[in-house]
Amino acid sequence: MFKQIQQLRLRRQTHSTQRATPFFGRRMAERWLFNAVLTAICLVMLLPIATTVLISFKREQDVVRKPPVILPCDTPTSRFDPTACRWATEGYARVLAPKSTGAWPLGFTLTGNLLRTYIPNTLLYATSASFLVVGLAGMAGYAVSRYRFPGRRLLMTSILAITGIPLLTNLLALYQLGVDLRKAQIPFYDDRLYIVLVYIGFFLPLSVWIAKGFFDAIPRELEEAAFIDGCSPIGALWRIIMPLAQPGLMSIFLLTFVNVWNEFIAGYLLLAKNEFKPAMFGLYDFLSQNIINFQVISAACVLIALPVIILFLFTRSIFFRAMVEGALKG
Amino acid sequence: MSSPSLRRRRGWLRHSLPFWLLLPTILVLLITQVYPAFYTIWLSLQTRQPDGWEYVGFKNYTRLFGLGQFAESVGHTIVFLIGFVLVTLVLGFGIALLLNRKLRLSGLYITLLYIPWVVADIIAGLVWRLLVVPDYGLLSGITQNPAIFPPNGLSILTAVPPQPWFGDFPFPPAPAMTYLIVASAWRALPFITLLLLAAIQTIPSEVLESSRIDGARGWQTVRFIMLPLMLPTLIVALFSLTLSGMNGVGMVFSLTGGGPGTSTEVLSYLLYSTGWTQREFGRAGALAMLIAVVNWLLIVGTLRVSRTDEGRGGEGNV
Repeated sequence: MFKQIQQLRLRRQTHSTQRATPFFGRRMAERWLFNAVLTAICLVMLLPIATTVLISFKREQDVVRKPPVILPCDTPTSRFDPTACRWATEGYARVLAPKSTGAWPLGFTLTGNLLRTYIPNTLLYATSASFLVVGLAGMAGYAVSRYRFPGRRLLMTSILAITGIPLLTNLLALYQLGVDLRKAQIPFYDDRLYIVLVYIGFFLPLSVWIAKGFFDAIPRELEEAAFIDGCSPIGALWRIIMPLAQPGLMSIFLLTFVNVWNEFIAGYLLLAKNEFKPAMFGLYDFLSQNIINFQVISAACVLIALPVIILFLFTRSIFFRAMVEGALKG
Repeated sequence: MSSPSLRRRRGWLRHSLPFWLLLPTILVLLITQVYPAFYTIWLSLQTRQPDGWEYVGFKNYTRLFGLGQFAESVGHTIVFLIGFVLVTLVLGFGIALLLNRKLRLSGLYITLLYIPWVVADIIAGLVWRLLVVPDYGLLSGITQNPAIFPPNGLSILTAVPPQPWFGDFPFPPAPAMTYLIVASAWRALPFITLLLLAAIQTIPSEVLESSRIDGARGWQTVRFIMLPLMLPTLIVALFSLTLSGMNGVGMVFSLTGGGPGTSTEVLSYLLYSTGWTQREFGRAGALAMLIAVVNWLLIVGTLRVSRTDEGRGGEGNV
């Protein structure tokens, strides 16, 4: 797969050098047409998100207007007057619930449950699950990629078969297991450990496969050279392979992070206490309280989705690599 | 250098290293995936009594099959899956063909198009709900217009489903189901587009070149060269879409909540409501087993296709 991608890049580069000679007429018009169509598609795809962002900055009176207005900028006399726009942060204020304390540095604290409880919880689960998945998948992927042992093929096939079993099917059993564990009163146990374990188990199989692909792409000769120089297998793994595998492990980390961040049903069902629930539950909570107040719901949506979208925009190339690697390994 | 026994111990460590590296992964998977699978099988044969569980054989299954709700839910699932998979594959293939034109801005388009995939399913459902919510949604002016969508416009809250064409089969779908299909396709589209784009770009340029020399043009190239060469990827995409469509419950949760009435109650949502709303764990276990069997068939299908292609599929979380 990697070679293919590299070839693609090369092909694309040669293509662009060919394109350097400008030509007009039919080909040019065609290019404009394709650009226009793709721009239109992008706009349509982003329309729902843009609408939500707009709603989150509207006042309640403008949200429940019939017929709906796109921008709250109309006055009784004109249809669009940029000076009269009624933007508001009422939705965000309701989600974040700032309370003035007069204390340094901001003079207020944010008391909304979403920011104080749910998002930190999600951050904790996503970060710890991603780190552990990277560690476990790295170890397992390395073992399968470098060693020939009996049952290797069977193991990888069964891990692949597990990949496809969705959380939903296992949720009944995981729920009962959680109830039993809670009843057993094991010291140190709390639901947070359990949910992280569930997330790891759910996202590990795919990550093992991705990791194996990345390790397969690292030439074996590098390690053999290290062995000849007297390096132990674990030393070679840490000093030679890990630095080279870093981009691949990074993509596993990001993929797991986003998946855990976006997961709803397990966090909703497996965690008993509200103070342990993740951000997606916070959103659900808002939904059940403020069904009419669209600006509040959309503000909560924006606050929860924004971190992942920003993360994605900054790391998109790593993402695409993991997606392609995970989906089409060849 | 070192004594024989030490060397032997080192050799043992070296030989068993893969085992130690794999052990934690295997343990985690045994707890979180293998044990639940067996537990669900056991659960599907039990019923809850005040003083514990009682073995009832296949009664849960026969009860489940006897439920009108189950048959209806299967119908909803089939309608949803066909709509969702078709819309996503066709649009994804079209957009992938456009992106394959290697325009200067392709990278930007791919990035922008990809954003919906990063949005959580439950947020995606809410976002679409805000678009089509009756009267106030931005699109509701269009969707509620009887002139555009006869006879009454499409309202997400229309509780009376349209008159079915084939017996009890819920086709044509209720408006809420249409919205569910559109919203799910919106979120799955980026992944499928990228998958198909990658497949298009791995078609050797010599093949396309020679087909052009042989006189194939535009649609002919797509139909006779690209589609056959991409068939394995298309099937992988089809299976993974079906898998995610079968099992995704977040979108139903936030967009329609299974309603209005039962018009968007797909199997995954029925599993949730049987297990956690009605607390019928035995019957929910039977339903989970049925879903698992379908999932398993889809995975085996994907594996067989990928093996012939030397590739791999089965992205569980589109």
